[in-house]
Amino acid sequence: MTNKEKYKDAFSALEPRECSFQEVEQMAALQKKTKMKIAAAIVTGCVLLGGTGTAYAMNVGGIQRMVQIWMHGERTDAVLDVTDDGTGYSITWKDENGEEREVSGGGIAYELNGKERPLTAEEYLEEWDSPDVEYLDDGSVWVYYRDQKIDITDKFDKDGICYVQVKDGKDPIYMTIKYQNGWGCDSKKYPDPKELWGVKQ
Amino acid sequence: MRQPVQELIERYQKNLYAAAFNICKNQMDAEDVVQETFVQYYTTKKEFESEQHIRAWLLRVAINKAKNLTVTFWKKHKCSLEDYMETLTFPDPQSRDLFEEVMKLPEKYRIVIHLFYYEDYSVREIADILKLSESNVKVRLSRGRAMLKDSLKEEWEDDE
Repeated sequence: MTNKEKYKDAFSALEPRECSFQEVEQMAALQKKTKMKIAAAIVTGCVLLGGTGTAYAMNVGGIQRMVQIWMHGERTDAVLDVTDDGTGYSITWKDENGEEREVSGGGIAYELNGKERPLTAEEYLEEWDSPDVEYLDDGSVWVYYRDQKIDITDKFDKDGICYVQVKDGKDPIYMTIKYQNGWGCDSKKYPDPKELWGVKQ
Repeated sequence: MRQPVQELIERYQKNLYAAAFNICKNQMDAEDVVQETFVQYYTTKKEFESEQHIRAWLLRVAINKAKNLTVTFWKKHKCSLEDYMETLTFPDPQSRDLFEEVMKLPEKYRIVIHLFYYEDYSVREIADILKLSESNVKVRLSRGRAMLKDSLKEEWEDDE
């Protein structure tokens, strides 16, 4: 037997649990919703920095609005609309290849008394004006905020936490990012990972 | 070109799992990596040149995801390799020895060895998938082979 045959024999013992298309489909949908929900929950925590947030919105009848969003450092025209089921919002725009893209979500805001309520359209727009963290196929990690684009791939510490600052005009936005586990931000100081994720750092 | 996720799952699930396991050394983490890799394929709009391109992309994504899991302190699943190996059925004792010795290799040699011996990739293709230079891949392959030869003796041929 060749080494390749021996190796393949040895690794043939590995039998993964069946991964089904339905699972993949559900996970994709869940990831999208979860991302929106996490971002929405965080945006209510840093609403101060969003106070001057650029809504760039113009009513065009009903709830549908022409808006401008920042997408990967570029300002892009988009349409904000209420989703068909009436429980959230959709934003549609054309990407750099001219293809129509749509993201829908809504998320939940927490009142001071801890009560949950759906995000308003304004809050949803503010969410889009908040920084975004993206994990690319090549393993790199980027922070986008308006026209700012920062490669933070090598900035995570041994605990998987990265601290990075972006600018909202002249004012800083302090971001604390946990690798593939969301992020938080504040206009005064870096949010404490312990408070964000409830883990000992 | 794009191919339906269903077909890719059937065709490459086991390959992605083996590559991910090779890095994570953990069944549940490797299964998560496989699922997340297919989710990424499903959600990306990326167009591919060929089926080989898709296969290499899937492997690269799975390897990156598995590596990310190993560097984060956020280890989701803890089950020892020894415990998991007890549940595996190897064709013969030599296969078990080989599996065990491969798993003892440093990660940077392990994944190169795996792509060469399991996936039948050439040095150039491995360099492309792992974003390494060809000479770096050759060195890792050579050192990994030497370590396997050293531990497995006559069970491993000199095939450089």
